[in-house]
Amino acid sequence: MSPGWFWAVEGLRRAIGLGAFLALAAFILGPLVTLLLWAFAGSWLFPNLLPEFSLKWWAYVLANGDVTKAIRMSVESAPIATLLSALICVPAAYAFARLRFPGRRALLLSFLSANAFPKIGLYVSIATLFYRLNLMDTFAGVVLIQMVNTLLFMIWIPTGTFRGINTNLEEAARDAGAGPLRTFFQITLPIALPGLIVAVLFAFLAAFDEAQGTLIVGTPNHITMPVMMYTLVLSYPQPVGAVFSVLLSLPSLAFLLVAQRYLRAGYLAAGYSL
Amino acid sequence: MAVRAPAARPPAGGSPQGRRRAWKEGALGLGLVLPPLLVLVFLIVLPAANAIVDTLTPDPAVKGLTPMLYARLLGSRIVRSDIVFTVVVTLVSVAVTFGLSYPLALYLRFARGRLAALLAVLFTIPLFVPVVIASFAMITFLVNHGVISTVLYRLGVERFPPLVYNATGIVLTQVWASLPFAVLILGAGLQAIDDSLIDGARDVGAGRLRTFGSIILPLNVTPTMIALTLLFINVFGSFTIPYLVGGNAPQMLGVTMTNYLTQYLRRSEAVTMAVMAFAISAVVGAVYVLSVSRRERGAA
Repeated sequence: MSPGWFWAVEGLRRAIGLGAFLALAAFILGPLVTLLLWAFAGSWLFPNLLPEFSLKWWAYVLANGDVTKAIRMSVESAPIATLLSALICVPAAYAFARLRFPGRRALLLSFLSANAFPKIGLYVSIATLFYRLNLMDTFAGVVLIQMVNTLLFMIWIPTGTFRGINTNLEEAARDAGAGPLRTFFQITLPIALPGLIVAVLFAFLAAFDEAQGTLIVGTPNHITMPVMMYTLVLSYPQPVGAVFSVLLSLPSLAFLLVAQRYLRAGYLAAGYSL
Repeated sequence: MAVRAPAARPPAGGSPQGRRRAWKEGALGLGLVLPPLLVLVFLIVLPAANAIVDTLTPDPAVKGLTPMLYARLLGSRIVRSDIVFTVVVTLVSVAVTFGLSYPLALYLRFARGRLAALLAVLFTIPLFVPVVIASFAMITFLVNHGVISTVLYRLGVERFPPLVYNATGIVLTQVWASLPFAVLILGAGLQAIDDSLIDGARDVGAGRLRTFGSIILPLNVTPTMIALTLLFINVFGSFTIPYLVGGNAPQMLGVTMTNYLTQYLRRSEAVTMAVMAFAISAVVGAVYVLSVSRRERGAA
């Protein structure tokens, strides 16, 4: 059965498995642990294995006016981009799942185009259009650029969710005399809710973490947290970037906690294989 | 994602009433789809089309299309080496990520036990780390006098090639950031392969390699294509990782075009590079859309 005597040595096989696991763990966790240590470091001199601990950079970062401005910009723009796309996309997703109309399949596939273009090329092209429309360095421009990433999630995940719902339930409600709107809000929507929540979370993170497009469109006055990171990484001492990284990771961590009950591997794959 | 076709309903359109109902349904469907479609056109179709037309008609005095801007850019040795560098870094990143993720996906599909459960959590972690942070974390980890360098120093290794601010750093960070995507896509495909098919092959005496080559690999072709194309486009169109983790020259195209746009204020050259990037990855993008379409149809 096994491809050779080599693998028959159970102990050796286990050791190789464990070694591969540890190497992967070091590769994935190593950079993150290093970053976390830097966030609580006063200084970290070579070749010490651990830094000298201090919280002084937290005070420095939180007292920085640019930082608080960036936090505000992020907290205002990402929810608006998410909400706007949910508002227009969820009804469209319902139509894709339930209604027959000409060009349905091609139109659904067309939403994949956000993934089929090299992102940075797309952002540069959008920027030249925004120059003409005076959308550069505006709040609206930042929200729009974030929506490049949210549309896909808000169309495809809800479409899959609505399609997964058995039509019998809706038909039963209709037979019992409920109108189409009442059926949607009382039957379809509650069943679809977990899928819709996952879509909203994915869209929010995509909007919140968007950096390269916002850098191009929002500079110099509309700087979000991820855009701020570029400056902090390139021209501040290491702990400043590290502290800010921890702040920027908070929404993702919250996402993990909130979404845990919905995040079966299927949903993750659904979101990220788009 | 298993997007299934809607349940079959009696065909509309027989009676005049049925035809009217079908027409109403079609109009309602199009009406509901229209708003996000308009946003899509405004944010993707229009800018892309605009970029192509603009770069082919750089001089309003000259009638018709001219590849002048492209010829001028391609005449620059720096731009040419950036293009080659971008393609090479992209291909290497895709190859390494794929080479790591296929075995990992296979392992997660078939292995049981604590190690597998732990691994299933571990490999998803980079999904929840914004790319800017990932790049910065990678710098602190790999940089000279960083953690790797300290550990190697303690082990007595004082000289080793630089791991960051060059192509190595870009590839390592790209692999770090895209590993979970690839594993999830491949894993979803492997999950869909029925256990009974694999057991059947082994029952008739097929070994591991044979089972893999004649059952698992061919049944997982579409997810494999999706993973490969998506990886290629993501790395090829990246900016953050090469900007922060890469060196000064040669640079990846994403950084070069952003510099042209925001630093040198040479918009038309920046857009020309964007269209070149579209052209280079057009086939890959098309294969991606076709593969997703095929997977969707397969699930119907």
